[in-house]
Amino acid sequence: MASSPDDLKARLHGLLSEFQAKIERAHTEQELRKVFADYGGSQGAIRVAQKDALKEAPNAEKKAIGQLSNAVVAEVERALEGRLAALHEAERRRDLERTVDVSLPGRVRRLGHLHPTTLVRREIEQIFAQLGFTVAEGPQIETDFHNFEALAMPKDHPARDMQDTFYIEGEPELVLRTHTSPVQIRTMLSGPPPIRIIAPGPVYRKDDDPTHSPMFNQVEGLCVDEGITFADLKGVLLHFAKRFFGEEWGVRLRPSFFPFTEPSAEIDFTCAFCAGSGCRTCKGSGWIEIGGAGMVDPEVFAHVGYDPERYTGFAFGWGLDRMAMLRYHIDDIKLFFDGDVRFARQFK
Amino acid sequence: MKISRRWLTELVETPLSGGELAKLLTMAGLEVEAVTPVGNFSGVVAAEVRGRRPHPQANKLTLVDVFDGQKVTQVVCGAPNVPEPGAIVLWAPPGAKLPDGRALEPKEIRGIVSPGMLCAEDELGLGTSHEGILVLSEKDGLAPGDNAAEKLGLPDEILEVNVTPNRPDCLGHLGVAREIAALTGAELRLPPVPPMHLEGSASATVRLEDPEGCPRYSALVLDNLTVGPSPLAVRLRLQALGVRAISNVVDATNLVLLERGQPLHAFDLDKLAGHTIVIRRARAGEKIATLDGQERTLTDEDVAICDEAHPVAVAGVMGGSSSEVSASTRRVLLESAYFSPARVRRTARRLGLHTEASHRFERGVDPEGVLDAARACADWMQRLSGARLAGAPIDLYPKRIEPVRLALRASRTRALLGLELPAARQAEILSALGLEVDPAGETIHVLVPTRRPDLTREVDLIEEIARVHGFDSVPATVPPLRRAPGVSPPPASLKADRARDALRGLGFDELSTYAFVPPAHLAALGYPESDRRARPIRLQNPIREEQSAMRTSLAVGLLSALASNLLRGEGELRLFEVGEIFLRRDGAPADTPAEERRQLAGVMSGHREGWLKPGEPLDLFDAKGVVVELLSALGHVADFEPSREPWLHPGVQARVSILGREVGRLGEVHPDLRAKLGIEARAFAFELDLDALGAAPPLRLAELPRFPAVTRDLSFFIAAEVSAGAIRAAIDRARDPLCVEVKVLEDYREPGRVPAGKKGMLWSFTYRAPDRTLTDAEVQSAHERLLAALKSALELELR
Ligand SMILES: [Zn+2]
Repeated sequence: MASSPDDLKARLHGLLSEFQAKIERAHTEQELRKVFADYGGSQGAIRVAQKDALKEAPNAEKKAIGQLSNAVVAEVERALEGRLAALHEAERRRDLERTVDVSLPGRVRRLGHLHPTTLVRREIEQIFAQLGFTVAEGPQIETDFHNFEALAMPKDHPARDMQDTFYIEGEPELVLRTHTSPVQIRTMLSGPPPIRIIAPGPVYRKDDDPTHSPMFNQVEGLCVDEGITFADLKGVLLHFAKRFFGEEWGVRLRPSFFPFTEPSAEIDFTCAFCAGSGCRTCKGSGWIEIGGAGMVDPEVFAHVGYDPERYTGFAFGWGLDRMAMLRYHIDDIKLFFDGDVRFARQFK
Repeated sequence: MKISRRWLTELVETPLSGGELAKLLTMAGLEVEAVTPVGNFSGVVAAEVRGRRPHPQANKLTLVDVFDGQKVTQVVCGAPNVPEPGAIVLWAPPGAKLPDGRALEPKEIRGIVSPGMLCAEDELGLGTSHEGILVLSEKDGLAPGDNAAEKLGLPDEILEVNVTPNRPDCLGHLGVAREIAALTGAELRLPPVPPMHLEGSASATVRLEDPEGCPRYSALVLDNLTVGPSPLAVRLRLQALGVRAISNVVDATNLVLLERGQPLHAFDLDKLAGHTIVIRRARAGEKIATLDGQERTLTDEDVAICDEAHPVAVAGVMGGSSSEVSASTRRVLLESAYFSPARVRRTARRLGLHTEASHRFERGVDPEGVLDAARACADWMQRLSGARLAGAPIDLYPKRIEPVRLALRASRTRALLGLELPAARQAEILSALGLEVDPAGETIHVLVPTRRPDLTREVDLIEEIARVHGFDSVPATVPPLRRAPGVSPPPASLKADRARDALRGLGFDELSTYAFVPPAHLAALGYPESDRRARPIRLQNPIREEQSAMRTSLAVGLLSALASNLLRGEGELRLFEVGEIFLRRDGAPADTPAEERRQLAGVMSGHREGWLKPGEPLDLFDAKGVVVELLSALGHVADFEPSREPWLHPGVQARVSILGREVGRLGEVHPDLRAKLGIEARAFAFELDLDALGAAPPLRLAELPRFPAVTRDLSFFIAAEVSAGAIRAAIDRARDPLCVEVKVLEDYREPGRVPAGKKGMLWSFTYRAPDRTLTDAEVQSAHERLLAALKSALELELR
């Protein structure tokens, strides 16, 4: 058997050619690595050939044999790297050829929807929070005292006609609250001024016609302290109108009557449908009646034990659902309580 | 209250149009809801019928000769009621203008030219009747050639005024005119009450036995009446103001009612037993037939107007039919009184009667104006029916209602309104309103006339000043925040809003349903009678039976909504509501009448989300996942145990509790309840009591893991009835602190894969130390200890 370095050189070059041919036929990284192990690995054909050659070679040639083998292994490794890079590049190109139909629907976890009354309630609470008003609540089944009597509406007062009342069976002194105003009374009974509250919640009136719902939501505001004025009421409502509807929006107070405020006012806001230019909804006036307001009547202070000479205050209230109707241009209040998801799902 | 602009201008000089008056009054607190034109025509004249004959070409048409004072003209008329010659009709000749904007021209009708037309009520904008042309009698006071509009007080505008309950003085034209005078500075023309001289000789006796119920009672006795219709001008005015014309006697009382706000009643004197009126408390059970044809039973709370024998009127509410004025009436007793507002209100409410009279007496008429109103009415009766004053006026007023004296501090007005307004200006406004004012520097002394029962305190005067001066002139300021407000928001409302956000993120739509529900739906939940939820609080006066029980379960309303949405073809539903349930206190004293608990309920039906088409059908674990995630958003970790809620599937439900405290329930809706509510699809529901949740432990950051974790799995068979919760509890008792996470990966029970009566489970355990990388040996030893402990606690068969 030939054992000269030249023989070895020929043999190693033969192996190198075989290796190169095989890796060209390998199409996965795994195949490539296998071929590499067969030739260039520590147990591969090149090292085997090197060992064979070393066994017979004289000492003087051993160094040359080592250098020759290492050079061939290095060559094999380079070929492997090149081939691997090519394979990766081919794979990358193939991957980039993928396309999808982007017009197909997305895969979603659908978000739910909040009720429009919740949306406007939160907005209103936030706006009044800027002026130091915190949220207060009270029961919906109320005593005649909290709902009427303490609000200067004794039993025979004609103002009771303004609010058709649901009574509780077997409990002549209990009603479903007809407004959120009893929360004023409960709050004032619970401690001395200063008071700044906003009280949202459901109220009930025995109205059942196309424009009324027997249950609806109101929000009530109350501010009591030394030196509170009617001008303050106006300023607070103006702030609200501008934050809620927009900077160009206005508030108009119109004299009216509520037993628990004096002076009393109806609150008109610039019509949201025509921005004040006059339309069918506002009967051409440019204003929409929103709710009531006024300075807390001294008789109410007497019921809660506040000194009317020392303290003054204002209160206001309006329909929350009505606010949502103005905001979202909803024309039927019954939709709020129908539970129809086709309605609910529009409030993104 | 309907107000005629023409009538107003008789009482106060004003150049303002109806629209301008509406604005003025509205901004002063008398809200005008509408302004409606009446009789807006011109050029129509009164004409006498001189002859009539059929139209030769049409048997439904008549040729009428009318005389307008100068010449006779032939007009074609289509009405069925063309009167006999001599009657007066209203003729719109060519050139006349009608309310609909039409200008009349000669027009050929079936071959004959008609110069204009004869008018029906509706064509003149006077009413809705189109039954025939208007036919006038001599008493209507129109002669041939008269301008009809002028004679009838037309055109006019009717203002629909919303008079608030505190302003009884504005329930008549005079009061509204007084407002206009105060607001514009114009002079008020008080209508004169001409003196009447005693002419007849009839007399009557009046005894006032209930002065508390009737502080003042005046009566005039009139004779020589001829009852008949009022003239057209009066009838039209009443009609335009929403009052039916009845007879000249009754119409006279209504004219005074509309002018002065004082209700009056005319009794047929000859039908009063003993020609006597007694004002007394009714006897309990006493009966009276009222003018509306009903028999009414009275109580001793009612003020009854009686003759010697029986009640003849329910005071302040309605007259009786026995003494009603009729065509044959010759003599009347005219009543004008001031009845106690509270007594009238109670009686009217009890009888379910709301009349023009009760409306005014309840609010308070002017006690000082009672006799003047009677005189004004007698004057009208004299003019309309020829009445004469037959007896001396009777006026029983045992205890005079004194005008209120008030002192107003001008500085108080400024302080309350936040408006700089000098004392002089304040006094000027009060004086313009007809109050007697005596200014003394900063203090203004005021005498309030009795027609203004709403002005009893200083603050009432401040309101008058504010509204007449104009709310628009008050500046807008923001009150300083003296100190942080002392009220903190209720925790349940904060929790509710966080829960809403979480549920929205989990794909739920928020609904709001009525708090009153059908009692049958609550009964269908199947709670035993001992449970308060089975005994809802009911309404005394519900609108309908299905809205008569206050809900004791929030799920009930949502399930109804689920049913109706399913019926509309919506298949994928995840709904929730936050609201109160109402429970009886059963005698336990508390701050609020009922126990109102804020709850949250959700229902779901359909499938998990898939792509392009729905995924797998929902099961209980979808609902449980929602509840776990929701509670975690609120800072709570809950436990779930089997429960026995009657409206949920007995095998597919759980009680939700936090640290041993029950906070809610979840489960599959019981098939029987679904059947009752018409829900075909399987549905899942949960209820959480937000008030019961309690405070969540404060959120504190846990240190982030710094060393790697090692996971070990455990696969075993175990008796099928041992719950995952029980196994988990055994694990928790046995595990080393190094075991930081435990998860169930599989629960399978298919026969063939598991031995009989067993289930297969795969659990995974994660080991990690906070301060070092664990060695294999450490993990192995901890895991083997756990395994040994489990084996001794549970009968597991390792795989
Ligand atoms: Zn508008």
